[in-house]
Amino acid sequence: MLATHTEKGKASAGEIVDASIDLLMVHEVLGSRIIPILKEMGVKKIWDPTKVLVVNDHWAPASDTQSAEIHIRNRQFVKEQGITHFCDVNCGICHQVLPEMGLVKPGDLVIGSDSHSTTYGAFNAFSTGLAATDSALILATGKCWFRVPESMKIRIKGQLPEMVMSKDLILKIVSDLGVNGANYRSIEFHGPTVESMSVASRMTMCNMTVEAGAKCGLMMANDAVKEWVTTRNPSAQWTPVAPDKDAHYVADIDIDLDAEPLDPIVALPHSPANGKPVSEVEGLHVDQAFIGSCTNGRLEDLEIAARILKGRKVHQDVRLIITPASQETYVDALRAGYIDTFLSAGAVFTNSTCGACIGGHLGVLGPGEICISSTNRNFRGRMGHPDSKVYLASPATVAATAVKGVITDPRRLI
Amino acid sequence: MMSTSLKPVRGRAWLFGDNVDTDQIIQGRYLTLLDYSEMAKHAFEIPRPEFSRNVRKNDIVVAGNNFGGGSSREEAPRVLSQLGVGCVLAQSFARLFYRNAINIGLPVLMIPNVTHSVNDGMTLDVNIIKSAVIIKETGETLSGQPLSRMVLDILQAGGAVAWFRKVKESRK
Repeated sequence: MLATHTEKGKASAGEIVDASIDLLMVHEVLGSRIIPILKEMGVKKIWDPTKVLVVNDHWAPASDTQSAEIHIRNRQFVKEQGITHFCDVNCGICHQVLPEMGLVKPGDLVIGSDSHSTTYGAFNAFSTGLAATDSALILATGKCWFRVPESMKIRIKGQLPEMVMSKDLILKIVSDLGVNGANYRSIEFHGPTVESMSVASRMTMCNMTVEAGAKCGLMMANDAVKEWVTTRNPSAQWTPVAPDKDAHYVADIDIDLDAEPLDPIVALPHSPANGKPVSEVEGLHVDQAFIGSCTNGRLEDLEIAARILKGRKVHQDVRLIITPASQETYVDALRAGYIDTFLSAGAVFTNSTCGACIGGHLGVLGPGEICISSTNRNFRGRMGHPDSKVYLASPATVAATAVKGVITDPRRLI
Repeated sequence: MMSTSLKPVRGRAWLFGDNVDTDQIIQGRYLTLLDYSEMAKHAFEIPRPEFSRNVRKNDIVVAGNNFGGGSSREEAPRVLSQLGVGCVLAQSFARLFYRNAINIGLPVLMIPNVTHSVNDGMTLDVNIIKSAVIIKETGETLSGQPLSRMVLDILQAGGAVAWFRKVKESRK
């Protein structure tokens, strides 16, 4: 896939290639770090203002004067450079709004100034995260060097049981691989389970491949993806990309969910690779329950939470905070009646932002607090105070836990 | 041009374990600080709160496996370089930290078993070009695979931005 973006048109694992980028997504790191680097480089005009997406999402709307200043810089830059695609604080989280805007299609090479840019692999695109300097170099030249990664193949068949989600599956995979089990590698997902999965569930899985160190997570384009891309970007031309017939894999893993049914998984502090079946931590008290982020803040995530919360109340000792992945998700949830359900249950429903996931705002943890969260990272201090603890789980497990006040298997609340 | 002017680094070791993630190097809540010297005061705040006060120029961060996992934030290597850290030695690095460190001109070397031989506070002599380390207290020599030519060129230039300008100049 990288090869098609080089002059030579060919590449093999281990080789360093200079590739042309189809789309670069940058968020607040544009204002805080990239713009100063561009000044240092003496870049007056960026390479192509139609191939850049700027998103103000991490602290949206601004949580303090510093993030406000960063947002001002981003708005000015978008105007000065005539950038076509801009999402201000009223759009949502970058990894959700980019596909919503139809800016990714099968075969694309998409780079984001954010590690969770692996998400677009769900759309059969090669996508990965880089940081400020690389983003500045791409803004200047439209190109970037990559080491072509070795690939791992994970073939998944069988059904996910009720109330068990793709989040549980990826937490299990990341835990089996370890935090650097896929370092420098790409993870390819194959098999009927992935083939029949919704776009949202696929995004959750590719999103978290970086938690095993992967450079990217890749899936074949299924019908749901084809329909998504056709609806969101009707005029675009694209061809799905499949691995070479003789493709070499450094690891080949088979998962059979029918032979070995998956339980809901909870990743214990302080590593996303610390996943255990929910039964091992059931009964543990939590202070906060959070549903949101680029990992699990989409409509199907809110739908399953609403199903669990319908006619129930959030436990008196817990605050449940729900942050939709985008403004579009917000509106859809509103129309479906989910927000009514959440508010009736006693939850807090916020605007779309990265917010609590990065310890930014709208749900920062205090000393000693315990949070169960549908997000992607539970590093020490990730969501706030260094002495707080984060348990990662699916939106279903988070919602069930919010009702009971202690970590709970969502299948108990069917 | 061969990168012969990458000077050897002599400094004290700051020892860390495995899987030091980017939030341990610099927490997400400090990323809106626009001034790196302000941000750097919070480097390693969670695992070693005394670090930013006591670190000296050319000190060396020594870590186990998968140093710098997690976020793509370039601020992680940047705050270390801001504080004068001379280089980072680890048994292995997460790919984003590794790439970011080179991009900002902070030398990073993969040295097998480095945490087994080095204790906190030991004095190390590091030859970046040869990827070799001498431990002053024990006389032991450790080495890893040398960095590629391209990486040495970027480091010698002082980072990817300076390297980019140099390459652009030379093509004029």
